[in-house]
Amino acid sequence: MSLVNLKQILTKCSLQQTQRSLLHTTAICNRVQSGRYRITAKKDFPLTYEMANPPHQIAHRKSWNSWNTSNLQGGLRSSETAVEDMFIRKFMLGTWHGLFVSEIIVKRQHNMIRVAGIIRQSISPRKVYFLIGYSEELLSYWLQCPTKIELQTVADRKDVIFKYI
Amino acid sequence: MNTIANVLRNRSNLKLNLTQITRLSSNVSEEKIVIPKAIPRGPTDILRALESTVSRDPTATHYKYHDDPFLIPMSNMGKRTFAMAQEAGRKAAYWVREQHPDLFQHQEADPPIKPFFPKMVYSEDEVTEDTLKHVIDEVLIPDAKKIYKLMIEKGMEISKETQQALLDLLCFYNNEDTLSEEFIEERWFRNSAKEKVRKTWADGSLAEEIFISIENPDAAAYSAIIQGMAKHYQVNRAWQLFEEAQGKGLEVNTSTYNSIIRVTSFMKESYDLRWSFVNDILSLMNKAKTKPNLGTLNACLEIVSTMGQSKTAKSYALKLLKEFKSLGIEPSLASWYHVLMTYCKERGPVSTILNDILPHIENKEHTIRDIKDTFFFVTAMDICRNHLHDKDLAQRVNKLLHFGNNYNLIGDSYKESIYYRHYFIVLCETEPLDEFMENIYNKLVPHIYVPEPGVIAEVLKNIDMNSAVEYLPKIWSDMLIFDHTGRENLLNMVMNIMINHKPDESSELNDKFSKIAWGIWSKIENQNENRIQKLAFTGEMLGNIMIMVLRNNDFEKAFEVMQKLDKGMHSVVGVPKLDALSMFMDHCIKEKLPTTAIQCIQYLTDSGFPEAEDFAIRLNKSLTLDETHLGRLGKIVGEQFLQKKM
Repeated sequence: MSLVNLKQILTKCSLQQTQRSLLHTTAICNRVQSGRYRITAKKDFPLTYEMANPPHQIAHRKSWNSWNTSNLQGGLRSSETAVEDMFIRKFMLGTWHGLFVSEIIVKRQHNMIRVAGIIRQSISPRKVYFLIGYSEELLSYWLQCPTKIELQTVADRKDVIFKYI
Repeated sequence: MNTIANVLRNRSNLKLNLTQITRLSSNVSEEKIVIPKAIPRGPTDILRALESTVSRDPTATHYKYHDDPFLIPMSNMGKRTFAMAQEAGRKAAYWVREQHPDLFQHQEADPPIKPFFPKMVYSEDEVTEDTLKHVIDEVLIPDAKKIYKLMIEKGMEISKETQQALLDLLCFYNNEDTLSEEFIEERWFRNSAKEKVRKTWADGSLAEEIFISIENPDAAAYSAIIQGMAKHYQVNRAWQLFEEAQGKGLEVNTSTYNSIIRVTSFMKESYDLRWSFVNDILSLMNKAKTKPNLGTLNACLEIVSTMGQSKTAKSYALKLLKEFKSLGIEPSLASWYHVLMTYCKERGPVSTILNDILPHIENKEHTIRDIKDTFFFVTAMDICRNHLHDKDLAQRVNKLLHFGNNYNLIGDSYKESIYYRHYFIVLCETEPLDEFMENIYNKLVPHIYVPEPGVIAEVLKNIDMNSAVEYLPKIWSDMLIFDHTGRENLLNMVMNIMINHKPDESSELNDKFSKIAWGIWSKIENQNENRIQKLAFTGEMLGNIMIMVLRNNDFEKAFEVMQKLDKGMHSVVGVPKLDALSMFMDHCIKEKLPTTAIQCIQYLTDSGFPEAEDFAIRLNKSLTLDETHLGRLGKIVGEQFLQKKM
């Protein structure tokens, strides 16, 4: 109607165009770099078997770290399960400080949660038992499911190293 | 369609006809199919049936320990420590949850699981009688006391039943908080042997306050307070209240009479008075027409067992058993425990009553019916060992223990270890050593039972008597694992066995024995300077060690021992046997080391052995000595020997 309105409409159109023109595309990049470790110059970076096999080897040479039925058809609580698994992993790594030398495996069967892993033998067995009792009980209360911890001990960190890269 | 229906009908007719024909033509009379009544099954019955097929695996530790070689306990200390450490962790988590209840308010389990519900915090406004009832059911004593006090402050009405329930709870637990049933390891390891029989009743506690606050206490209230006081050995007041109740004509319940009987020994001194007192109480029961139960039988038997060794005590016990049997009350394991205590006194005549008791209880599953049932197995095994020395009886008792679920009646860890200690020793004394080692030792040690030093001493004695030295290396390694190597008497026994039973030259036992001897040497050498009870070398011990290593032709070690003998004249008590030094001398000659030989002779003279001269002559004869050596020898032994040689 008036000149001012026309100007406003015109500026809006040009803004949209500039907004649209802010989208930038590049050429398609097929690089995948998740879960892979870079070769170092000194070739002394240790890798466990799990780290050495990249993600495309899952179900071939590697298996999963979380086992549950939440993602099947009719499975319940998939997002809560995933978040709980992350909590379990962070909790275990924090409570067992510097002791885990493998990934923490979480398996759910019925309402039981089984947490497994390999730890170093750097603290006395009495302390290990204390931590087992504490972790099991606290995780049970937090997750409202009976939790069992199944650990295997290894004398030396070097026992789980598969190769150096 | 019609045809199909016809076909089907025909077919079904045919079938019917066929069955009728077969029925008519078969010779077998018609078997009635009887469908049995359905047995009601619980949700876990299948699991229980499967579990009954699995027995204890002696090659593995108890399943409560983590299954990893680093985490397996190897000694009694280890077993206790690991189990209690795990429970301490659980308690720590429990405490964290209690400290931060606001973080644990979620309730996600579906179907809901009661132990995971968030904790209740009782504030002033929300207490009602229902919360009190709930808390009493859950046996949360501090909470119950708090809620009761809050309710009294607010002047709220409390019904009689709830008040009675609270009174019962407080009397039973003596106003103290009890260990939660969740903490099973602490209960298992609680040293119940040290329970002192002294007054622990809290005077002027909340229980008494409640009792006083009731205007007209009825029979139930009196029963509760009397039982509580009697249980915690506040005997005088319990008796006072009992007389009061009798005076008022109130009918207290059976358990009250039982608890009064149980504390008879505190009220009457002499045995006759005690027996008459028990009779009085029983007649009171009769007058009040209260039926006696198993608790009455056990309480009477308990008093009889404290009545010293007299024929009358034994006759009373038998009379009691007979009378209660006629009432239809089956004696429990606690009754048999009291009977054993009555009959099998330490300083009394040997009684074989266990032989008569066992047929009554064998091959049956027992459940806990009285708190003293757990004493039976330990006492029975004790009697088999100390009183009767009978291994067949011991085996029968053991079989009964392992029948069905009877193992639950072993009590706690202390009783279990004592039971196995007695079992071990009685079999060690009576069975031939080979069978003992194979069937008992190798099966039970170390996972089911870790022997104490005394038991190891018995086994070593047995090995000594049977000259069965091939078992010695295993016993020694077990001693190392169980940390018994600090005991001087055990070390001496091991040494004596090795010395007295010389194995053949070529046998590998020589090597093992020398290793054991060297183990003892290094243990004493390297022990911590600050230990209070230090083990010291004696001359004889060193001599024995020398013999062991020399039998294995290990000269270097023998040389070390010799040095120790020589230099440590002040710290080493006594002198070694002559054989040791003689063997050493022979080896010196073999190895052609005259200096060492002369050193040995020097030691001989210093220690005052008269045979030093003979040694010197022997040395001179076997080895050609040069001037210096001859000179030194001459100085030590004297010039005469040179003449003797000449």
